[in-house]
Amino acid sequence: MQDKKGEEKIIVCRCEDVTSEEVEAAIDGGITDPEELKRFLHVGMGPCQGRTCGRLISRILSRKTAKPISTIKSISHRPPLVSVPISEFLGEEDE
Amino acid sequence: MNKTFDVIVIGGGITGTATGYYLSKRGLDVLLLEKEFLTSGSTGRCITGIRQQFSTPATIQTAMESVRLFRSMKEELGLDVEWKNSGYLFLAHSGETIEMFKKNIAVQNKFGLDVKLISKEKCKKIVPLLETEGLLGGAWCPSDGQANPFLVVKGYTDGIRRNGGRIETGTEVVKITVEKGRVQSVTTASGDTYITSKILNAAGPWAKDVGKMAGIDLPVEPERHEALITEGVQYTGIPMLVDYRPDGGYFVQRVTGQFIGCFTPEKRDPGRRTKSTLEFLVEMSRRMYRLVPALKNVAVLRQWAGSYSMTPDGSPIVDQTEVEGLYCSVGMSGHGFMLGPALGKFMAQYMTEGTWPVPTEELAYGRSFGEKESMS
Repeated sequence: MQDKKGEEKIIVCRCEDVTSEEVEAAIDGGITDPEELKRFLHVGMGPCQGRTCGRLISRILSRKTAKPISTIKSISHRPPLVSVPISEFLGEEDE
Repeated sequence: MNKTFDVIVIGGGITGTATGYYLSKRGLDVLLLEKEFLTSGSTGRCITGIRQQFSTPATIQTAMESVRLFRSMKEELGLDVEWKNSGYLFLAHSGETIEMFKKNIAVQNKFGLDVKLISKEKCKKIVPLLETEGLLGGAWCPSDGQANPFLVVKGYTDGIRRNGGRIETGTEVVKITVEKGRVQSVTTASGDTYITSKILNAAGPWAKDVGKMAGIDLPVEPERHEALITEGVQYTGIPMLVDYRPDGGYFVQRVTGQFIGCFTPEKRDPGRRTKSTLEFLVEMSRRMYRLVPALKNVAVLRQWAGSYSMTPDGSPIVDQTEVEGLYCSVGMSGHGFMLGPALGKFMAQYMTEGTWPVPTEELAYGRSFGEKESMS
């Protein structure tokens, strides 16, 4: 995949279509808290809930802020553990 | 480093950032202190709805000004905040609710709000996927809408920085120094002291604690509300549906195609806990399905909880306190995001000129808390 300038694009969050360039630009703009990155870029908020991008974001943050990855908080995870169709909760009423 | 500021704002949610923005736009030197990260309190946990259907003159006029500000926010802040006038449709399944809508609509129309009572058939026309069994009618306001709270806060904070203000996140205020009845300074957990003559308490669920630092007792109590969001499906413009039945709830389709919603807990749940419950997930899913059966195969992605900061009458407290220079914009009672832009603009005017553009008695500090906001 190529961006407008014809350069290689690296997609970090596939669900929300966020590139590594966008993540780096946000960090350069002062958003260095993983929680803020999640909220302002929507990374990790799509159907996979950060399973792919979570670690990638931590790695980019670690590199950009020169902090060991062990000190980078992972983005918060919310229940349910996996996405659940509403029909699962309708029980007998639905049969 | 500059240690003296014209105004210090405590809280990095919609209230603090909007007010901080309008203060900085007026040329004041603003410092905004947030104990965690921007939107980490109630703002980032809201369900994005923006309505003008309130029941009292001050809240109706404030909300109408907010919608004007949301509409022009892209030009004002240089950022698309995903504003969409997707409307609010309040649903009545009882004659009593219809009567309440009529009473409120009469007041809302007086201020020029484009809200009207509509039939069950008209409801179905606006939301073809709506299940109308037992429905008697609705209160429909097409100019109500939704926006992205994270982007709105980003727009305001970028604006504060552009105007020369300073924002410190991860910075908790632990002390407010008051001398001879006037504010003097603010001290943070890391020991920094900033001198100022004006402080705005915009601490949302922590407002009472911040008030105590200056020796005042604010009648604001946080309580837990839960919410959820689904995966995105084709955007069909389903407005915020507000089901007024005792086991109702409210949800809207976001411009992303996702459905986001919540319901008011049957029993008040005081405190600042933000744990989620399986009961809510199950119950909310059922309530959404009951109104829009087409949601059956849509998957819930995420659930969370946040705090409503409640006042005894359900209207905010936006005023100066008995401590000179200590202002509060607190007790949003679940309406902080929607009222935030206008209250920020009004508060900035009040803090610099001492005047307020809408009737203030309803929002005054130290008012007697009588009649409740009925469209809560």
